Amino acid sequence: MAQEKKQNSTDGSGLSFQELIFELQKYWANQECVIMQPYDMEMGAGTFHPATFLRTIGPEPWRTAYVQASRRPTDGRFGENPNRLQHYYQFQVVLKPSPDNIQELYLISLKAIGVDTKKHDIRFVEDNWESPTLGAWGLGWEVWLDGMEISQFTYFQQVGGLDCKPVTGEITYGLERIAMCLQDCSDLFELAWSRTKKTKVTYGDIYHQNEVEMSRYNFDLANTDALFNWFDVCEKESQKLIEEGLSIPAYEMTMKASHSFNLLDARSAISVTERQRYILRIRSLSREVARSYLESREKLGFPLVKN
Amino acid sequence: MLKTRDLLIEIGTEELPPKSLKSLATAFSEQMCLALNEVELDFNDISWYATPRRLSLLITDLDITQKNKKHQRRGPSLSVAFDKNENPTQATVGFAKSCGVEVKELEKLESGKGVWLVFNTILKGKKTNEIIPGLIEKSLGRLPIAKRMRWGNYNIEFVRPIKWILILFGKKTLNCEILGIKSGATSFGHRYHHPGALEIKSPSEYSNILRNKGHVIVDYNERLSLIQSQISLAAKNNKGNAIIDPRLLDEVTSLVEWPVSFIGNFDPEFLKLPKEVLITTMQDNQKYFPVTNDKKELMPLFVCVSNIESNNLELIKKGNERVIRPRLSDAVFFWEWDLKYGLKNHRQSLKEVVYQKDLGTLYDKSERLVKTLSLIGEKINLDIDSAKTAAALCLCDLLTKMVSEFPKLQGTMGRYYAKAEGENNDVAIALEELYQPRFAGDKLPKTLPGQCLAICEKIDSLIGIFSIGKAPTGDKDPFALRRSAIGLLRIIIECKIDIDLKDLLSTAASTFSNKNQSLNCINDVYTFLMERLRHYYRDEGFSADVFESVFAINISRPLDFHHRLIAVAEFRKLSEAKSLAAANKRISNLLKKSGEINSIKIKNDLLVEKSEIKLARKLEDYKKIIAPMIDNHNYKSALTELAGLRKVIDNFFDNVMVMCDKPDLKKNRLALLSNLNSLFLETADISKLQD
Repeated sequence: MAQEKKQNSTDGSGLSFQELIFELQKYWANQECVIMQPYDMEMGAGTFHPATFLRTIGPEPWRTAYVQASRRPTDGRFGENPNRLQHYYQFQVVLKPSPDNIQELYLISLKAIGVDTKKHDIRFVEDNWESPTLGAWGLGWEVWLDGMEISQFTYFQQVGGLDCKPVTGEITYGLERIAMCLQDCSDLFELAWSRTKKTKVTYGDIYHQNEVEMSRYNFDLANTDALFNWFDVCEKESQKLIEEGLSIPAYEMTMKASHSFNLLDARSAISVTERQRYILRIRSLSREVARSYLESREKLGFPLVKN
Repeated sequence: MLKTRDLLIEIGTEELPPKSLKSLATAFSEQMCLALNEVELDFNDISWYATPRRLSLLITDLDITQKNKKHQRRGPSLSVAFDKNENPTQATVGFAKSCGVEVKELEKLESGKGVWLVFNTILKGKKTNEIIPGLIEKSLGRLPIAKRMRWGNYNIEFVRPIKWILILFGKKTLNCEILGIKSGATSFGHRYHHPGALEIKSPSEYSNILRNKGHVIVDYNERLSLIQSQISLAAKNNKGNAIIDPRLLDEVTSLVEWPVSFIGNFDPEFLKLPKEVLITTMQDNQKYFPVTNDKKELMPLFVCVSNIESNNLELIKKGNERVIRPRLSDAVFFWEWDLKYGLKNHRQSLKEVVYQKDLGTLYDKSERLVKTLSLIGEKINLDIDSAKTAAALCLCDLLTKMVSEFPKLQGTMGRYYAKAEGENNDVAIALEELYQPRFAGDKLPKTLPGQCLAICEKIDSLIGIFSIGKAPTGDKDPFALRRSAIGLLRIIIECKIDIDLKDLLSTAASTFSNKNQSLNCINDVYTFLMERLRHYYRDEGFSADVFESVFAINISRPLDFHHRLIAVAEFRKLSEAKSLAAANKRISNLLKKSGEINSIKIKNDLLVEKSEIKLARKLEDYKKIIAPMIDNHNYKSALTELAGLRKVIDNFFDNVMVMCDKPDLKKNRLALLSNLNSLFLETADISKLQD
């Protein structure tokens, strides 16, 4: 039965949003990934989750997969655009070291969620990634499904200014977009989040009001004086914690500073020149965190390294 | 006759960067060719193949071994090789020993300088098999890869992870390790149609097997033509013509192994958007080819090139249509928002956008443009009001939503928004023309206000960036100033705007607030521009000496420079050119040698020889003839006229001793030559012409 449902992926009966998550979790769990949970803080992308940012640093092998909410205040459209959200979900897979068959693993995962790779046009289109705030960059692709960018694929080369050895392979699925393809749906608020024979709860039922209100807050109401202040406070806290050798709380402060910056950006409170300076301030925090985390793992003898 | 075999090399990779695929493949071929030449292995032909997942080379009739090579080692000179008793000396014995032979096996070499003992031997050529892996590795290491990457836990670096390596020499696989990866015996087909291994029995059947069994067209150019004809056909079937941008065609060719093109639709409602917006969305974001009707208007269609022969093409089509819709909706949102906000309204906000630290904001820049335009506008016949309005508005569109989304539409959106706001055509067009030429060979501004605005913007960038010490160095040119400089010169020359560069530079420099620095860098910018001018003419096919002959006389009006250069190039073709160039060279040497000449006045009573009297007389005649030609910039006639002096000058040199014993005569002759020299220099320094 389940198999049949997957085959008819784009006739409108494809996986519901939550089934999509279940399938991906199951699939990647079978690939020896630790299924982690969303981090309980605001962040711009799943890459910020310490299970990616911190774990890609140093020699320790690591495999994880998790859902993470991404908050991008400037992308808000007051719930009026059927394709844009300021709060959406990514499914993040981190494989360190990147296995030789990483592309094949990814393609099989697409089959697992009901995408027939022999019917659709799936392509790896060059898209190199750089996060100025994380001091990170990598090479890779965006994956196109019939012209729609559904995933990002990156081989991390540097994180927090440190060379990655081994290299981490990161796969980020854009869950809403994939669900829209699977359910043949052109309005993401109409996506079935959950579905039984009798009931259907849509993405809009759950998040529409959230989009309207959060857009209003992000664009119009967020207190910029307070945000500027928070940014400064978080920056100082982070620096203090680094001195204490506490890279994890220091990183949390970095993330908080980063989100304050994103909100200020949405409020158009930062001029173009200042913008660059703020980015550099966050980057220097990220670099310090990365260095400090590596040191602390080294002190622990890199416990995840097995002979 | 050495035996030969065909060699096939296939480097299988994860998807390669499409914008550099072709250059990677051709470089691989060139490097391999060089490497084979270095080791003296002959072959008939080398051809390259490239797809998103492989770089391949087919080398036909490659020697299976290097040729044996004669080798000679030179030992001691014969004079010290043997003692009186004809016994070999210590040196000779040592040499023979080091060659591993007896002394009697050494031979003698006679040259003009003496006789030596030598050891002749034949070095056996190595087997090609053994050399090839090293050559491949070397060639791959020399590919022009902007950023090499690492993957997994390997110590390998390449453009993308390598998945397999196939090397077939004749019918045998060549097993080796390249960049730490073991070569195998098989290729692989299309990612979805034939993911499994493919056996290739001999190099010559490579492309056929990949096509027939593997669903891969490995030949880049074949794939490109196929795509091109598919696109045209798809458009034609819908009564349209596809717009095929060659760069996009290359990119798409580099994104597919098995092209299948189809037509998709978008809502005709979107056609209300400026066509540039639609085209950019289709080409840049989605890699689609736009379609126009007979009237060259866009149709609500696009051609997409997919990489699969799906049994449900409708599915792929629907998917693509679902993607373009929200993108175009976004564009409509930006368009309407920008129209509502207005272009002028952004002007004040330009004050908040820093152009460059120490050069003020974009507002300051636009103010400078207004000033420079007014100043130079007086010197050319320019409708100053339109031009000034355009200068004031020109950077405003940078702040529109559409341009923040599609930066390459800057200027174009300015034109649309200015027009919507009721600005006249001249203003609107100038806003777009400001950015022309956008790339080498691009069209130039057509209207005078557009040309002037473009000139002012480029000169402002040049002075500004030079003044803050960020002039281009080596291969670093982050502000694309070389392109600005060439653009500036092209507009002045090709649009025939008679303007003095030094004048333009000091005018523009005076508008900066960091006047000290901006005025200080004028000479550097001028030198930089002249250097670009040299490149410009080299690219246009003028020989370097022609350029030098005009460059030598310091002409700072590029248009005037151009007329002189054309005249010299024509002059160079005349039969008299060679001897006149030589004569001028001789004259300038004589003048140089004799130092400063006190008087250039020719005293007729000191002219004694027939030939010098004649030359002096001719000189006077020619001065009168040439003067009006120079005034009218008719340099070609001037030089053609001057060619008539050849005989008189040759006669002069044949019969007159310039540096004679009598100081008076000598001085007078030098004055005569100095006059003659000046006459030529009115157009150019033709002594710079080379044979």
